[in-house]
Amino acid sequence: MAFMMKLPFVDAVCDNSLKHTYVGGRKLGYEFQIRLSNYRGHYLSCIREFALRVDGEEVPAEDITFCLHGKEFALSQLPGLISEFWRVIEPATIKVYKPGGLAPGSHHIELTLRLRIPYMATPGSKQAHDYATLDASGSKTLAL
Amino acid sequence: MGNIRLGISLYCFTDEYIKGKMSLEDCIRTAAEFGAEGFELVGTQMLPSYPYVTDQVLGEFKAMTSAYGIEFVSYGANTDRGLRSDRDLTEDEMLQLAINDLRTASKLGCRIMRVQYLLSPSALGRLAPYAEHYGVKVGVEIHNPETPSTPVMQQYLEVIARSGSKYIGFIPDFGCFAIRPNKPHWDEALARGAPLELLKMAAQLRYEGVPRDEARQRLLSAGANDAVMGAFQGMYGFVTFYKEPDLEGLRRIMPHVIHFHGKFHYLDEQLEEASIPYPDIVQVVADADFDGYIMAEYEDHLSGRALEMTERFMRMGRKLLDK
Repeated sequence: MAFMMKLPFVDAVCDNSLKHTYVGGRKLGYEFQIRLSNYRGHYLSCIREFALRVDGEEVPAEDITFCLHGKEFALSQLPGLISEFWRVIEPATIKVYKPGGLAPGSHHIELTLRLRIPYMATPGSKQAHDYATLDASGSKTLAL
Repeated sequence: MGNIRLGISLYCFTDEYIKGKMSLEDCIRTAAEFGAEGFELVGTQMLPSYPYVTDQVLGEFKAMTSAYGIEFVSYGANTDRGLRSDRDLTEDEMLQLAINDLRTASKLGCRIMRVQYLLSPSALGRLAPYAEHYGVKVGVEIHNPETPSTPVMQQYLEVIARSGSKYIGFIPDFGCFAIRPNKPHWDEALARGAPLELLKMAAQLRYEGVPRDEARQRLLSAGANDAVMGAFQGMYGFVTFYKEPDLEGLRRIMPHVIHFHGKFHYLDEQLEEASIPYPDIVQVVADADFDGYIMAEYEDHLSGRALEMTERFMRMGRKLLDK
């Protein structure tokens, strides 16, 4: 049985953070900020699951980037990032590639974000590399 | 009775810090205002340049400790064995990361560093010469449900004793001597609809040492709901409790204790912790002529009572230590 923890100190999706992303003056997509809802920060390699639904539709992984410390990572890079530390009070920016952007108005963002808790072996487990999970998911409707 | 000092782990202010109600500076200032001689912080939580210390961050800490008259005593390191997505770190890799943490603690001017039990006893032994050279004592935390006498802690004891080093040892968390169920968990279970008699039954099963699976079955047969089972999980886990706390075990390891975490969840107006027998534990610590810190470590963050409870804790500590 998976051992799951949730520590709802802050909302995963940050208030008032949705805006369009412009490249060369053209609307190439949108971006918003997220927080790690936990009591401590984690290395990005501990992200086990990252998925996004916007207005009920799954966003393809290749259209999402995770931005931290002035760097912009593809989701497939996350498992290898063992020295990129995401602080617990530091918002990360999520960018979504969507030429033309979103329609004006409200949009519902559902984030699935689950992490391996790297110091907490699953209670009672004798298996190697078996850790409790932090569920830091969250959703919010943001206006554009 | 030794020289027991009272400090505050800034971890007490987790909720306030993460919600942006208190900055790092506010946490340090508040600890000083509550009468702490020193403070501790958890690196993965509050060190701005984690896992390293930049010169700028070091300068900021120096300015804050001198402005508020408090010392930065101890650094809480995490032992993230599951850092990689594909496999566990090896002992060699964990040792190297622990040495990195030592450099950080040393640069910050800390004399104490906490490691967690995933750093194996033999890795702790290998860390001893580094700890001596960096001038930082490293202690493995004894956290509920471990106690000083549990098998894994006995393995650490063997390594620590054999090393002959004063630079590796133990950091017992007062929570491992709890004698009653965790009050916030108990109250929360009641609020979520747990019948009182079933909560009492769960506590009784724990007191009697009934094995977990059997206890679970008996509770379910008696009609326990989710709220009861949630509390039950804690009673057999990180907030377990005993009829007889392991104070004898504590007495035996006292020569190797370098630091304490004063865990607390709820103090009433008479300054009594609801489940942890502070006077009895402090007596053992004092009898051993302990020279070092008890760091207040509040843990019921979502209650919003951290400031009130931590201030009460410091009053309790001063009363018990006659300060």
